[in-house]
Amino acid sequence: MRATLKKRVLFLGLPAAAALAGLVFAGRAEAATINKTVCVRNVTKTLSGTNVNFWGFTEGCMGMGAGLVPGPVVEMGEGDTLNLTLNVMMAPEEAAPYNGHTIHLHGLDVPQAEDGVPETGASVSGDTYTFTAKPGWAGSYIYHCHVHTVKHLEMGMYASLIIRPKDANGNFLKQITSTAATAYDYVQNYLISTVDPGYHTATGDSTVFADYNPLYFLIEGKEGKSKTAPAVTLAAATGKKVALRLIGLHSVNARFTLRDSNGSAKSFTIHTRDGRSLPAPETVSSVSISPGQRYDILFTLPSTSGTWYPQVEFQDLWNGNTYTGGTVYGKITF
Amino acid sequence: MFPPNAPTIDRTLFVRFVLLLLLLVPPLSSEAASKNYSLYIATGSVTITASPVTGNGAATIPSWGYTDVAGGPGKVPGPILTAREGDAVSVTVVNNDSRSHNFVVKRVTTDTSAIPAGGTKTYTFTAPAAGAYVYYDSLAGNVNREMGLYGIFIVEPADGSLSAWAGGPAYTSAVSWVVSEMDKPRWNDVASSGGTVNTSVYKPNYFLMNGMNGFQAMGDANTSIMGRVGDVALVRLVNAGQYSHSLHFHGNHYRLIDEDGVRLASFKELDIVNVPPLGTVMVLFELNQPGVYPMHIHTAQMETGNGVYLNGVAAMIAIEP
Repeated sequence: MRATLKKRVLFLGLPAAAALAGLVFAGRAEAATINKTVCVRNVTKTLSGTNVNFWGFTEGCMGMGAGLVPGPVVEMGEGDTLNLTLNVMMAPEEAAPYNGHTIHLHGLDVPQAEDGVPETGASVSGDTYTFTAKPGWAGSYIYHCHVHTVKHLEMGMYASLIIRPKDANGNFLKQITSTAATAYDYVQNYLISTVDPGYHTATGDSTVFADYNPLYFLIEGKEGKSKTAPAVTLAAATGKKVALRLIGLHSVNARFTLRDSNGSAKSFTIHTRDGRSLPAPETVSSVSISPGQRYDILFTLPSTSGTWYPQVEFQDLWNGNTYTGGTVYGKITF
Repeated sequence: MFPPNAPTIDRTLFVRFVLLLLLLVPPLSSEAASKNYSLYIATGSVTITASPVTGNGAATIPSWGYTDVAGGPGKVPGPILTAREGDAVSVTVVNNDSRSHNFVVKRVTTDTSAIPAGGTKTYTFTAPAAGAYVYYDSLAGNVNREMGLYGIFIVEPADGSLSAWAGGPAYTSAVSWVVSEMDKPRWNDVASSGGTVNTSVYKPNYFLMNGMNGFQAMGDANTSIMGRVGDVALVRLVNAGQYSHSLHFHGNHYRLIDEDGVRLASFKELDIVNVPPLGTVMVLFELNQPGVYPMHIHTAQMETGNGVYLNGVAAMIAIEP
């Protein structure tokens, strides 16, 4: 919200603002300001042979190109300021009262004016959302629309927002956090989501939204039903460290495991959860991911070549059974 | 005691001031007391109010519940039971319903035998470690619990201090959240009319916060986190439902301090708390910036009441400067 920012600057007065800017500049010369604008466009995805319409964020605002699901990744450093602008021109939308769109910075603890919640005053006609990442915030977040979230998240209006630690020169560190023990050689986002096609055609208040029956299960917007057709692949070198960012945008239960080609579970270490370092890293052989949660995990590949399959089992909220076709594979060759 | 260059103060005046403070503050008692409750099991209903945005979604769900009012309808959730650690607790349960029921406090009591229709049973136990506990009816394959027979049992520290446990983290205000679901057409409508619920199918269409739909809960002072910047709210949270509830806080991260009675050695700072069926957690929410923020479930259908947006599991956080 630019208006609010202007008011604050005026309130402080120009000398105070200049002094403040000087302090910030002197203390954190590396801090950057990132300006990004996203729009909303239709996109058709073919899932298991069936076409499903989505609404995706895209930076291609000049025309009627396709949206992306998930949307463009926002990457910023600790100390950096983000101005994320939502332009709703030509955006597909629902009828009133659930018309328009917003951006909610999920997990970023922003003030009410930047929170993107229409019910607490956010504009649904486009806005700029601003925040500065504090030290200690390195980790994985989400930005997503907060209008009729049941419908709009299902339509694909979500993306990863990654905060990275920086060195004294302002360069990104290849670490999950500023702690050296979180150093990695490779990093990948594993944003997980589910698709109930019924939610894509229903609108407003509808009993369709009372019952969730996902048919398609995605990592980074892609199906990956078998080890031979994984959703995400990584070609790595033996003995190297891999970080995965597990980001939950699904509406069921999910369990992540990392398995070798024989199906044996490999342990991994959780360093951050919901964008905060755990008091102590936790080494586990599986982790449950609930809707909205994020985990940043790290593991070391073996010294001899092979293939590992990170995988997510999507499970029924009631009985915990894995859905038919509900195991989605990634693949790491080394 | 004081650094050599500290300004001198009138020690007599200081002592008088401290004595005055002691007189003003009621003494903290750590004597174990008796806490006696009477609960009556009765039929009732849960009223779902319409969305003020669209006017959709008003409904009445037949339910069963515990109540502290003899002859009254069952409440969903049942009354909040509180005790201090070490108290001798006695809960007399009167079954005014035509079916068998019982009363179990998870991690506290073990008697799961039935109280027959018209029967009465008294459960006595010592209030356990300070924390949040869930009580419920364990009979009839989850049907009795699904119908609304559950509530929260809160145990405060023995000294009555505003801390999660003796010597534990302090708070300025506390709220309790009991989350649950109801499958009106397949469970509540069937069981309330004497039919047999097919317990192999559960598709709840109402998702409740303290027995309320979202719009009621968001306007409920006892459910909201309210206060000023600098305050710390303790949330005692139990999931009486059969689904996991993945709850997301706007405005600030919270600190997870206790899961199912296990106190964390170091608190985790998180913005999602996922509570499994019959799970309990305690979290601390620091009010660190003014504004109004939602706390809501992040699981699509559970944000609705029978498909009506925002009528699912939610609460409000209102922070004054």
